[in-house]
Amino acid sequence: MISDYLEALAAALSFDRPLSQRVRQEVEDHLRQAVDADPAGGGGLEAQQRAIANFGEPHAIAVQFAVVSLAQQTKRVGAAIILLIAGVFVAMKARVAWYAIMRCAISDDIKIVSGIIGSIDRYSFWVSVIIGIVGWVYVSGYRIVAGSGAAYRKQLRRFFLLCAAATGSLVISVVSDGVLTTLRLPEAGLSAEFLVPIFSMAIEIACAAILVLQIRGITQRATATAALLKT
Amino acid sequence: MHSMEGEMLKGHLDMIVLAALSTGPAHGYAVIQEIRRRSGQAFDLPEGTVYPALHRLEQAGWLTSRWVTAESGRRRRVYALTRHGERALTERRAVWQQFSDAIGSLLAGTRPRRRPA
Repeated sequence: MISDYLEALAAALSFDRPLSQRVRQEVEDHLRQAVDADPAGGGGLEAQQRAIANFGEPHAIAVQFAVVSLAQQTKRVGAAIILLIAGVFVAMKARVAWYAIMRCAISDDIKIVSGIIGSIDRYSFWVSVIIGIVGWVYVSGYRIVAGSGAAYRKQLRRFFLLCAAATGSLVISVVSDGVLTTLRLPEAGLSAEFLVPIFSMAIEIACAAILVLQIRGITQRATATAALLKT
Repeated sequence: MHSMEGEMLKGHLDMIVLAALSTGPAHGYAVIQEIRRRSGQAFDLPEGTVYPALHRLEQAGWLTSRWVTAESGRRRRVYALTRHGERALTERRAVWQQFSDAIGSLLAGTRPRRRPA
């Protein structure tokens, strides 16, 4: 009977596998102790039923854990935003340093276009940095309290907005970098010296893609948690 | 003594769990037993609600936890207060004391109204 209950609880917590495993072990120990301490003794079916009844419905417990798990994931995403933006920054700076070392100058034909795109790139990147830091500070500062509902949802909405804005700005910056790199390509040709800019662009694209996936993941988790809260 | 209403306890669950752990590290089952014992059996929480609270408090940095192996051979998660947790408990105790004194003073001057027969 306890095994069935644990299976049901683990299934209800399947949205977070490490959490599900940990809770399962903790609850199993709890229920076995409760059965051992049952005044009727014997550890029979009735003692198991009482222990399970005292513990509560798996769904009700899963709902409380879902909120805790979501909060933990949002904090992770908040930190990931900063790290991924830093990754883009390092790749960007490495490419610029490489151009300087290799004395790669921009031809006069594309100077105006690359100047405009460069401005878009710079501004969108720094906007993503500022919004990313604000989002990270915001999400690091809040704490989930028992029974928090509307206030927590409001905090989450704000955080998602900040995440979306930071990610959008970063994507614009990476796309601008891609355009700038492509503009330089015909001048240098597909020579070995162009491997560094291509590699740095690959890092930037990977960072932006990981960030988009993180935001998608947290949005899906929030939707699943909201659905769990409604049922 | 009357058993306290679940909703009434929910708002104070964090403080109750922190207080139960103030005597030393304990696992979930022992925390629940400690809450019952120290409240004179008045706080009869649904046991399952304590575990999300323990996880939440750990996430907030107020508790730490580690696995130990019990005499029975089962793995057991033991929780302990951190310095942040001790500080949070002290703060909450002070706020609660203030609140309790104020309510006590307020109720001291009142008597239950008799209903007309």
